[in-house]
Order: sequence, then C-alpha cells, then structure tokens
Amino acid sequence: MSKRRNSPDAGRRNFLKGAGLVGAAALTPAAAKAQVAAPKADLKAASPGPKLTAYETQPPGKDPVTQTSSGGDFMVDVLKTLDFDYCAINCASSFRGIQESMINYGGNKKPEILTCTHEDTAVHLAQGYYKMAGKPMAMMCHGVVGLQHAAMSLYNAWCDRVPVFVMIGNIVEADKRAPGAEWVHSAIDPGALVREFVKWDDQPASLQHFAESAVRAYKIATTPPMAPVLLSLDAELQENPIHDRESLRIPKLPKMVPPQADSGAVADLAKMLVAAESPVLVCDRVARTPAGMKHLVELAETLQCAVVDNGGRMNFPTRHPLNHTFSRATLSQADLVVGLETKDLWAAVNQFTDRIERTSRPTGKKGVKLVSLGTHELLTKSNYQDFARYQETDLSIGGDAEASLPALVEAVKRLVDGGRKSAYEARGKKLAGVQLASLERFRSDATAGWDSSPISVPRMVMEVYNQIKDEDWSLVGTSTGNNWPRMLWNMDKPHRWNGGSGGGGVGYTLPASLGAALANKEHGRITVSLGGDGDFMFAPGALWTAAHHRIPILYVVLNNRAYHQEYMYVLNMAGRLGRGVTNAHVGTTLIDPNIDYATVARGFGVHGEGPISDPAELGPALKRALAVVKSGQPAVVDVVSEPR
Amino acid sequence: MTFLFRPLAAACVLAIGFGVPGAFAQSAPPGDPDNGKRVYLADGCFTCHGRIGEGGNYYGLTPILARTTLPFEGFKQQLRDPARVMPPFPEAVLSDKEAADIYAFLQTLPGKRPVKDFPLLNQ
Repeated sequence: MSKRRNSPDAGRRNFLKGAGLVGAAALTPAAAKAQVAAPKADLKAASPGPKLTAYETQPPGKDPVTQTSSGGDFMVDVLKTLDFDYCAINCASSFRGIQESMINYGGNKKPEILTCTHEDTAVHLAQGYYKMAGKPMAMMCHGVVGLQHAAMSLYNAWCDRVPVFVMIGNIVEADKRAPGAEWVHSAIDPGALVREFVKWDDQPASLQHFAESAVRAYKIATTPPMAPVLLSLDAELQENPIHDRESLRIPKLPKMVPPQADSGAVADLAKMLVAAESPVLVCDRVARTPAGMKHLVELAETLQCAVVDNGGRMNFPTRHPLNHTFSRATLSQADLVVGLETKDLWAAVNQFTDRIERTSRPTGKKGVKLVSLGTHELLTKSNYQDFARYQETDLSIGGDAEASLPALVEAVKRLVDGGRKSAYEARGKKLAGVQLASLERFRSDATAGWDSSPISVPRMVMEVYNQIKDEDWSLVGTSTGNNWPRMLWNMDKPHRWNGGSGGGGVGYTLPASLGAALANKEHGRITVSLGGDGDFMFAPGALWTAAHHRIPILYVVLNNRAYHQEYMYVLNMAGRLGRGVTNAHVGTTLIDPNIDYATVARGFGVHGEGPISDPAELGPALKRALAVVKSGQPAVVDVVSEPR
Repeated sequence: MTFLFRPLAAACVLAIGFGVPGAFAQSAPPGDPDNGKRVYLADGCFTCHGRIGEGGNYYGLTPILARTTLPFEGFKQQLRDPARVMPPFPEAVLSDKEAADIYAFLQTLPGKRPVKDFPLLNQ
C-alpha cells in the first residue's frame, strides 16, 4: 500500500526494481532470449522456466544493499516537531525501521528510547510520566502481540484520562510478509483490539498521511478529556527510501486551548455556590497542571467551603483546613455538592453495601443539589463501563474543570458581599476544627500497631515521611487501600502526588512510578513510591529499566505477602457460606516461599534493602536507600508489613 | 466494617464516648488469650483488623480492635450477625468459647497510646 504511493518501485523485498536503491541489476534481454532458446532435455522432472534457468545460469544480479533514507527518518522528523522527550519501547521487528531512524538519524534524542522489558511497563511508564511532566511520552510496540501485552495498561491510561502516544508496527501487504512470525504478527486492523479505550487511531497509508495523522493524534490526545491514541505504522512505510522528501510537509502543532464551561452555566453555578449553606466540592482529576491546585484553593477559600479530594490528581493540600476528604459526614450534610472532573458522583452521595443482597442507600441530605463540571461526558464509549453509575444532577456542565475554574472563581468573587464573607469565615472555622480533629484521630489510630512486626502500614508510612519530609519530595504511587500518606503527610504542592492507576489494573505502580520519577529527575525531586508486592510481581523487570536509565526513585515494597484485597474478598465469601474461613489464603497469598524483593532488586542492578520486619531497622535502611537515590540511582526497600 | 449501624453497637459507641475503657471487658466471660490469638490469626480476623488489632482497610477503614471497649455481647453479635460488609462467623465456624478467647486476646494488645509519645507522628 504505502510503498507504492511514495516510492512506487522501491519495495523492500522487490530490490531488483528499486529506483531509489543502489546497484539494481536485471537480466539482459540477450540473456533472457538465450534461455528461451535453450534445448529441452529429456528429463523426468519438469524443466525449469526461463527465469529460474536464467537465475541459475547467469552471474547473480547485484542485490541492492544500501539506501540513503527511510520513511522512518521522516517519521522521526515529525516526532521531533511534537517535542517528545522519550519513547518507551519493547523492541520488535515490525517497527525496526523507525527504531533505527530514532537511534541513528535522530541521534536517540527527542525522543530518547527507553528500553522496557514488557509493553505493559512501557505504557505505564508513559502514564506516570505524563502526570508529572505534563507532556505525553511516545511508546512503541509490536502491532499484534505487543499491543496485546499493552492493552491492560492502555485501559488504565484511558480510565485515568492520560494521553499516551502509541505507535505499533504492522505489515499491511500480504505479499510483503515473510513466512512465519510476520504473518502471525500482522493484522488488517490492529487498532481494533484497543479501540474501545483509545481516543483515536489510524493506520497511515503514506508518509504525508503519517505526518498529518501524527499531529492530529497529538492534538486529540492532549485536548481534554485526554486519552491514549494509536498509530499503526506499516513496516514498508518505515523502511523504504523516501521517494520525494521535498513534497512532504509536516503540519505545525498549534497552540491548543482546552474546552471551557459555558459562561452562562458558570454564572449559574457561582450563584448556587454563593447561596448554599454547606457547599462541598468533590474533585478527582481536576489538577492537570500546577495551576489546578491554585485555582481550586482560591475557590474553596473564597467560599470557605469543604473540599473532598478523591485523589485522582494532587488537587488540594492535605492539611488545608478545608480539606474534608476523609469526613463522610461533611458530604452527608451538604446542601450543594459540586463534582469537578468526578466520574463517580453517585458514590459521593450514596452508600453501597456488598452483602448477599447488594444494596445501596442515599447518604446525601434531603434536597441536596448536585452539579457536575467536567469532561467525562465529552468522551464516553459503550463497552467498558468506566463511566460509573448514572447520577441525576441539577446542572451538568461540559467543560474542563481546571480551565473553567478561573472564570468560576471570578464569578463567585463578584457575588460575595460583606455579609456573606463573615458567614463564610464562621463556616471555615468550623470546617477547620473538624479537619484538625480528623488529623488527630488518624495520628492516634496510627499508634495502635506502632511496634508491631510485621511492620504496621502507618509506621512504615511515617518512617518514610521522616526521611523525605525536608527534601523536595514527590509521592507517585501507593498500594491498594493505603490512604495513610494522604491522611498523615503534609502534601502541599502540586507534585506531591499524581493519582492512581485509573482502571485498577494491577501492575501499574512500579512502572508508572518510574515514569513519574523520570519527570521529577530534571527538577531534582526525591521521588518515592509505596507499592504493593502483588503489583510488583506483575512487572518486576521494570527495575532493570530504572537501573539502565538511571532513574532515581525510592521504591518501598509493602510486602504483606498477599494479594490482600482478594484475600479479604475470599474470606468474605467463605464467611457468607459458613465454611472454610481458614482456607482464604489459598490462591491469594504469596508465601511458601516468601519473596525477597531486595534480592530481586539486586538481580536487576538496583540497590536493595531488606526484607525488614523489625520496625527499629526500618529508619536506618530507608536512610541508606535514600543516599543511593540522591546519587541518582534507584533503590528498593522491602518492608514485611501488616496487611493494611 | 463499622459497628455504627446497629442499636447495640450505637449504645456501645456512646459508652465509649463517655470514657469508661475497660469496664465492658471486665464483664466478659473468661477467655484464653493464647488460644484467642491462634484463632484470630487462623480465622482471618487479622486480614481486616491487623495482627495486633490495629485496624486496617477493606471498604474504607476497618475498626481498631485492640483493647476494644465494646462489651462482649456486642462483640459476639457483630461476629454472628455483622453490620455492613464484615463476613459472619456463625457458631459452627467460631464457638462462643473461641469468641471469648479472641476477646481476651484483644484485651492483651497495646492498642492506642498517646500521640505525644511518638515523635514521628508529630511532624
């Protein structure tokens, strides 16, 4: 397909015809004629045809062995205009053309290739990177088997509304596929596999088509609501010489403006917020940039209203007096709940109970008004149900919350008069008291298992905090259910946290944390992650990538020797049935043998500490590991811990 | 796995609020804390509540059971007919004697202590 349009006679397997190739040769007409005139021998086997005879009897044609350009070179030119710093790959023959161009033609800079040991790792690396760097990473893999590996992590990125620029290799034309691997690694529509959870995909048929689709894909991916995009790159297009470089044009990437909420709707929302007695802002993936937190703080402080941060991003400082994230009572007393980039507003005002009969009940105040402001309804597909349960609202505003906040803040400020200000101040004081009491309760709760061995999770969390609190730190991952950092740590800056996996696909934390650490590296931040052991085991090879690319990170493995959430689920089932409560560990635990993650780390060339069971030994081990991180290297601390 | 949604539990929480720690424990039947620890670990109580009853997280935070001030009868009721998402532990699975043993074990645990004694928690 592509080859014929751009370099019509330069198929990589049709070397003899290659106009752009060196040393093309063919049978001379005289030689061909001589073969036609050859006498027939009285043989049992069929006589060879004229071409085969010529091939066997004439000196071999000079097979072209070099070329001076490739479509991959042009593709790299395009990628450079999109300012990618990195391209995470697990190498594969179907994109060997563009890979070679990136390395040699592009000088392995912008993008620089990151070698990953699994496609899932490559996508998660890009996901974590975007949330800290604020710019997408490119990723490449095989179009069939590689994309199948990458599918789960793409789903995580989709649910997390993170752009990843995916390129896959494919061999479109059947007659250009070598027998064996190239057939089983080719597809007529490879993007179909992930089309339900990428925002857009294309399979360019020419280099010009690639240029336009690459810029289009970038724009689509990074315009809220953001999501991964995919380009399938024909191997012929990557590898063949460029027929006419002068005719190819790279479209410029324009300045892009995210969709903002309608000004009338913003004015209506401002009126509702100002008039409400107990408004609550529920936010999830609001803060796309550092400005998001600033705007949200300004809005909350203007209104002196409570904020519940679901933690999809670092939206609101944890110790801000108006932070009521862990106070369910605040939500139940609200007369106005405003969801900001919150997929699951239903969960904010309802309680679901997982018993034999699954039930739910509203927990919101009678007559509570509900408003949603976000981009979720601008990007919804049908099959995968990540849009959550439908929640009736009084006002639903389509628009990017962060981009809409400045206008909302201004609209609110215009409506706040002196009388309201004093009422708001009184409300703020009350809320601050509740927030402080919550912090004290969390601290008190943390004392209950302080000296336990295995080490309690809050003890582990605070030992880590003690080591990093005076640094410019950034927490980029936690194990399932571990909210202790958000309850106990002073997370006061936009880079203190970057949200979770999005889709709950396990195996996210280690590679995504590395991606975030890579973004933090240029700022000199200390990156820390508190991942689970089950998660770690999905992609431990990511540690090699960390060592190879010198990605500094303090990675603490919360080693509770189980897929612990599942352990509790199975126990719950056994309890319902009144049987086998002592057997719930079967299939849910990682024991016999116990895994030594510090030794695993050392095997990948990463500094390893532990396993540590004695809480008194944890602080010194963390200190040693932190020294390694400060030297620019990754370090793993294996903490044998309590379940949660 | 909170106890707040049953009347008896609500009464207990109220009592805790009035500050009578230990009073309920004294009215509990005698139990064997060593056996209680064994059963607590074998039957998976620790998965949600921690090995030394420090609490945990299932669908949100799970209660701290160390030195619980819940009266034994309320404790047993929660085992037999639990509120919310806690799995039931009927007598066929966990006898009254074993429940009493667990209750006794929980009273031996350190439980919560003054925050001021923990410098790491004051930063």
